[in-house]
Amino acid sequence: MRSAMRLAGFAWSDAELDALRPGLERALASLDELERLPLGDTEPTTQYRIF
Amino acid sequence: MGGLVWTSVVDLARMIATKEVSPVEVTRAFLERVAALDGTLKSFITVTGDSALDAARAAEADLVAGRVQGPLLGVPLGLKDLFNTAGVRTTGGSKILADSVPTADATVVRRLRAAGAIVLGKLNMHEFAYGPEGLNEHYGHARNPWDAQQTRVTGGSSSGSGAAVAAALVPVALGSDTGGSIRIPAALCGITGIKPTYGRASRAGVLPLAWSMDHVGPMARSAADCAIVLRAMAGYDPADPTTSVLPVPDYGAALTGEIKGLRVGLLRPFFMDGSAPEVTAAVQSAARALEGLGAVVDEVRLESVWPVAAASFAIVASEALAYHAEWMRTRSGDYQPDVRERLKMGAFVTGVQYVRAQQVRARVRAEVDEALARRDVLLAPTTPLPAPVLGQTETRIGDAKTDVRSALIRLTRPFNFSGHPACSLPCGVSGDGLPIGMQLVGRPFDEATVLRVADAYQRATDWHRRRPPLA
Repeated sequence: MRSAMRLAGFAWSDAELDALRPGLERALASLDELERLPLGDTEPTTQYRIF
Repeated sequence: MGGLVWTSVVDLARMIATKEVSPVEVTRAFLERVAALDGTLKSFITVTGDSALDAARAAEADLVAGRVQGPLLGVPLGLKDLFNTAGVRTTGGSKILADSVPTADATVVRRLRAAGAIVLGKLNMHEFAYGPEGLNEHYGHARNPWDAQQTRVTGGSSSGSGAAVAAALVPVALGSDTGGSIRIPAALCGITGIKPTYGRASRAGVLPLAWSMDHVGPMARSAADCAIVLRAMAGYDPADPTTSVLPVPDYGAALTGEIKGLRVGLLRPFFMDGSAPEVTAAVQSAARALEGLGAVVDEVRLESVWPVAAASFAIVASEALAYHAEWMRTRSGDYQPDVRERLKMGAFVTGVQYVRAQQVRARVRAEVDEALARRDVLLAPTTPLPAPVLGQTETRIGDAKTDVRSALIRLTRPFNFSGHPACSLPCGVSGDGLPIGMQLVGRPFDEATVLRVADAYQRATDWHRRRPPLA
């Protein structure tokens, strides 16, 4: 957590990170699911303008 | 005077144009109602009574002089407090921007003023639009007028917009919708709100939550009222490069009341199956009502929506933190705790996860497009449950326990992801007397059909005419 936080340019205290941990663990679990999805070579949506 | 505040936008505009009532009389009636009820409802952050009355007098002068009149001349309007207003503070519901006074109106505000609308004030919201409950620790939590005990949330993030329209403090308000923030408070407060297609209405001058998911739109008491306001605010804006050059149709003219032969897809797995029984029953009943009006209803399965929660988190958390990064480094103590925590989460999303979320998004969009290739609209509950109690963090839907926040945005978020237009409208009440909402989803830039189906339903039912106990 500390490394990711520093990489993102923040300096939250240990107490702040501890308070974040339960919600973050749930979020990271859901992101793991995202990584495991068989998305193949689906082109990501990078152009938002529809017309 | 009491009846005037319950008059529709369409009728108010007509009555003002024909000099049946004066803009000053109308504006005063709404301001008196705000003064009488908003101490309880907390739907406004800033009331602009003096400038509203000045604008009303100017509108009256225009009428008397026979000068050109807009379609909303003299109609009062509330703005979620993230639409920039020249000379009037735009707080985003935050302490950080408590004294921020923009020098120019947001494009949609400028257009609505040009159409004759009179801004009554700036409405409460979840801080920086980052929460579906509509909570605000800086300006007080807006209260749901359907709960006489004042213990229910309005839904959010456009909480003040939902409460103010439901209690007739304004006839129409603007909201923004990143994961459901127009449709959720519309459903929980028993009103009608449309999130137009991504690119239909300009976001220029609107505080962002997540640029690629943010939409703006009207919230009113009927589809017909949303139609007249959406037409006045929509359209290409060079200041917002995502807006479309497609012409804006006359949505009011599309409301024929006729939906015979229209194809409606009822979203069953994930949407109906993931909702409380009384919500499912209300939407099922609405589907039968649409069949009774001549629509052809079948059931639809969208497989791609299951990972939307994780993918949406990756996108919204990343984009939101990108916007708030500097304040999170220098003023993080000034955010309310839930918003600060959500913003921090964005620091832990990787670039790879963000792109994978955008891949999910492409799949959702393609599948919704495919479902709509054979149907005119899709139908689903807006929220899987009616308004929860303030402070409630968990709820039970069927046999499953779930957290309230995830439940509230579960059914709306897929269409922020896909960008399709979606309108929430009332379709029933719960055992506790709370409104239940359904959403109609249409093809990109076909808001006209969405509003046409919503209007036909409202001509045949009276859920949207019911008044809350606190009003």
